[in-house]
Amino acid sequence: MSATVGVVVFPGTNSEEETLRACQSVDLRAQLVPWTADLDVVRSYDAYILPGGFAYEDRVRAGAIAAHDRVMTAVREGAAVGKPVLGICNGAQVLLESGLVPGLDGRTQPQAAFAKNAPLGKYRSTHVHVKLVMPPERCAITAGLAPGAVLPAWASHGEGRLAAESATLARLEREGLVAFVYCDAAGKTTSEAIPNGSALGAAALVNARGNVLAIMPHPERDAWTYMHVDESRERARGDAGAMLAASGGIALFEGLARALGR
Amino acid sequence: MRIVRCVEVRLTIPDNEAETARETLERLGVPLGALIRADLYRFELDASAEDTLVRTLSSLETIYNPGKHALRVREDAAPGPGEVWIDEVRAAEPAPSAPVRIAGRELPGVWSVERFTAWRVEGTAGVPMAEAVRRATETLLCNPAFQRAIL
Repeated sequence: MSATVGVVVFPGTNSEEETLRACQSVDLRAQLVPWTADLDVVRSYDAYILPGGFAYEDRVRAGAIAAHDRVMTAVREGAAVGKPVLGICNGAQVLLESGLVPGLDGRTQPQAAFAKNAPLGKYRSTHVHVKLVMPPERCAITAGLAPGAVLPAWASHGEGRLAAESATLARLEREGLVAFVYCDAAGKTTSEAIPNGSALGAAALVNARGNVLAIMPHPERDAWTYMHVDESRERARGDAGAMLAASGGIALFEGLARALGR
Repeated sequence: MRIVRCVEVRLTIPDNEAETARETLERLGVPLGALIRADLYRFELDASAEDTLVRTLSSLETIYNPGKHALRVREDAAPGPGEVWIDEVRAAEPAPSAPVRIAGRELPGVWSVERFTAWRVEGTAGVPMAEAVRRATETLLCNPAFQRAIL
């Protein structure tokens, strides 16, 4: 039987349908898994995606309540045995609050956070590009990407600024745990490309083992031609097949499929 | 003369956020009687500006809605028993230029403002629970990667 991905839904999650569709478009078997699901059912999945949204209305802090939810017991167990876990936006915040990322020294307490955007702590929705800055093979999900791959995505968050103590930031950089940084469409990293003041320009972190990836911008919101913010969408006008072709952010889901041996 | 004053704004209707936090903490093995949350503003201001400050805050609907909030000036400028104040260690940003503003409103005579979320843990009969608030802080209420807890 082929591998199955559990798309974990908390109260307040709002990106589960797009995430599910991105999985299905790369022939991944994926199912929505509500936070109330029986833990043994949750344990039966081969990988997990924590999609975007506002789990538990961001009460206490973005991702803080969900990180302690009962359903995360199964996600933690899965991560511990090497199952791939992908957190997108609010899902990424949950992974940092849970301590699964970066998980330095095996600790399970939060060591970093996606904190309020700088300057001014305001919510931003803006198109971005992110560049792979670690060796692709460092993470199971990115292993099939080209070194330095640039992906389009949508940043849509009020809390996306990587924040941690300076010693932790130094370790993240030194140990290659920054997976993606913000960049322009050509892959050039500039301060203008960072939408939220994120430390190290980081858009995504990976855990030390390389099986848990937390990415703030949404790759599933720029995963088909009709979503692209470039000339490819204009070129596809009048051609339904080209308009509905998967590309761009779908690469991350293709990477997950590859990691699962699809 | 400059003085320090804390203004507390607390919900008078059921606080869903505090209740969610309390339920989560109890499930994580931190028993609590009641968990009470408030927004807290600590001002450094000219003594002569205190009355104006309170009047201004009371008129800012984004901070204080008399239909669902209670606003009071606290006599203490630090956490009380069974209480923790949480604030964020912010990214380096230019220091705000005078005058200090809050919710877009200028605060004359105010030199600085700090914002906190205050959490207070009480047992039966409103007795402060110092050990429980410490455990609640470590378990859920503060992410030390970017927040500071003042106990």
